[in-house]
Amino acid sequence: MGLLGYVVRRAVYSIVLIFGAVVLVFFLTRVAAPNTAALWAGPRAPPSVVQAVVKEYHLDQPVYVQLFYYLEEIFTFNFGISPFFKQPVANLVSLYFPRTLELSFFAMVLTIMFGIFTGAYGAAHKDRKGDYVARGIYLVTWSMPPFLVALLLQFLFAYQWNLLPSSLLADPSLSPPSVVTGFPLIDSLVAGNYTFFTSALTHLVLPALTLATISFGLITRITRSSMLESLRSEFVRTAIMKGVGTRRAVYIHALKNSLLPVITIIALTFAYVIAGAVVVEEIFGYEGMGYLITQSVYNSDYPTLIGSTIVIVLSVVVINFVADVLYAVVDPRIRLGE
Amino acid sequence: MGLFRTIRRLESSPAPLIGLVIVVAFYGWSLVEGILQLAGFLTNAPSLGWILLQSNPFTPFPSNSLLPPSFAHIMGTDDLGRDILVRILYAAPTDALVSTVVVGGGVLVGSLVGIPAGYFGGTTEEVNMRFTDLFLAFPALILAVAIEATFGRQLVFAILALVVVWWPSYARVFRGEALRIKNLRFIDAALLSGLSSRRIMTRHLIPSSLNTVLSYATIDLGNSILVYSILSFLGLGVPAPAPEWGAMTAQGLSYFPLWWWYSLLPGAVITVVVMGAALLGDGLRDILSEGG
Repeated sequence: MGLLGYVVRRAVYSIVLIFGAVVLVFFLTRVAAPNTAALWAGPRAPPSVVQAVVKEYHLDQPVYVQLFYYLEEIFTFNFGISPFFKQPVANLVSLYFPRTLELSFFAMVLTIMFGIFTGAYGAAHKDRKGDYVARGIYLVTWSMPPFLVALLLQFLFAYQWNLLPSSLLADPSLSPPSVVTGFPLIDSLVAGNYTFFTSALTHLVLPALTLATISFGLITRITRSSMLESLRSEFVRTAIMKGVGTRRAVYIHALKNSLLPVITIIALTFAYVIAGAVVVEEIFGYEGMGYLITQSVYNSDYPTLIGSTIVIVLSVVVINFVADVLYAVVDPRIRLGE
Repeated sequence: MGLFRTIRRLESSPAPLIGLVIVVAFYGWSLVEGILQLAGFLTNAPSLGWILLQSNPFTPFPSNSLLPPSFAHIMGTDDLGRDILVRILYAAPTDALVSTVVVGGGVLVGSLVGIPAGYFGGTTEEVNMRFTDLFLAFPALILAVAIEATFGRQLVFAILALVVVWWPSYARVFRGEALRIKNLRFIDAALLSGLSSRRIMTRHLIPSSLNTVLSYATIDLGNSILVYSILSFLGLGVPAPAPEWGAMTAQGLSYFPLWWWYSLLPGAVITVVVMGAALLGDGLRDILSEGG
């Protein structure tokens, strides 16, 4: 079977998964939920509003009719109206989601860099001091709750050393560039607004660093074990005997061949980073999806919470799909086997 | 391998031993304190709950508010002058309860889904594992928040939400173990002696999987405390006056960074417990995979 066949199969599987996840959310939020209408209408909603919600979501109809209307809503990106923000959830998500994607991108880059470095270093110094230090570092950071890492980094970099801004998306005195793509960094570049670009970038560093700190242990573990395997293999010994030097044999020859499994957990890392963003964005006042989710929890804004959940699941499934395809491109055994 | 020999093996390396000490201290304290709190609750004498502590974790002492860590208050005091260490110790049984019920529930549901999937294969496997994939598509924390927001902010629903997000990973582990074990000779012997599929699964596959599951479960005791602390940080844990590790950090946020101990020290305690479970779990895996 060729690459195309594999891609098509994974795509169909991803679509089925998305459909299943959306239906699961339907059963949770419309069928299993107690007082469905009151929940969707928001706290302290007058009876007339609750009545309107019953009509709007067809809650007085049989379940399969509700499901039909629900699917129609979801696949036209209609997530209802937020009772707290008083606007369509879809608008909120389209404003907040690109910011989180931008943050996650930088967080992922840092996560992968930290993870590969500590994993490779640990494997190269197996059972010696360097290995214990690398393992100690990832064990501690992996065990820390995201809010603790966020507060520690904020304390050191923002309050003690005054190196980086402690919160917000960008300096509030600057006027943001007009929205083109929704990604603040790209929009400011498009508008040629370099002051805003620099400000947004410096505001991104601490939240991205926090997310990387809590997530890189995943990559460290995988890199370390796959690197240990490479180091035992013939080709590394051959390289050393050919005289490329131990350092080069370890960090170029062996490491290059150990990176394959890292691709398989990129999607897992993304899911981890997104979940961490819920708390981290709240602490740094970084107004992305995580911030939106915490605000909707604090204000019992159910439509916003559920809309955000669906969008996040969609993005996790899509990233999973991309990682699968990437893996098959890099390693032909995957698309042939299974 | 016997429990005693496992413990003897743990003693030979320092890291798992540190983990063992932390885990035993945490669950040991939680058990004693938890029983006292329960007794106090049942006999309508809540003071039993803090009989082992220096002070009442609920009574405010305005004159003591926001004192830094000292010998009198090892972790300092909060905005209402309550000792932070006392509140952390008082909250421990909740986390111990949540972690054991969540991991236990996850293992139970995971085995019910995963073992038949691995043993029967075919349609059963396809249906069970695709159902598992469905839950794995959700980031655990996000799904847990959605579940709790749906059913209400109570401890029961927090635990329920965590079980729902925890079982899928165990379904995968149990399926893998069932696939491995079902081809071993003693299963053939059991089949030949006429055991039913159900008996083979409950009497042979589940017990034989437990070695592998045990190290995962130990690590997850910590992970579930970590995720629960995030839920409680978001205000989805136990209701207000009762102390809770994640919630204490959240309350301390408005006093950060000047009164740093208020939010940082409860977070540090979470880290120590989670790390202890991870160290012990890793050590158990190394010992058990050597196969005695």
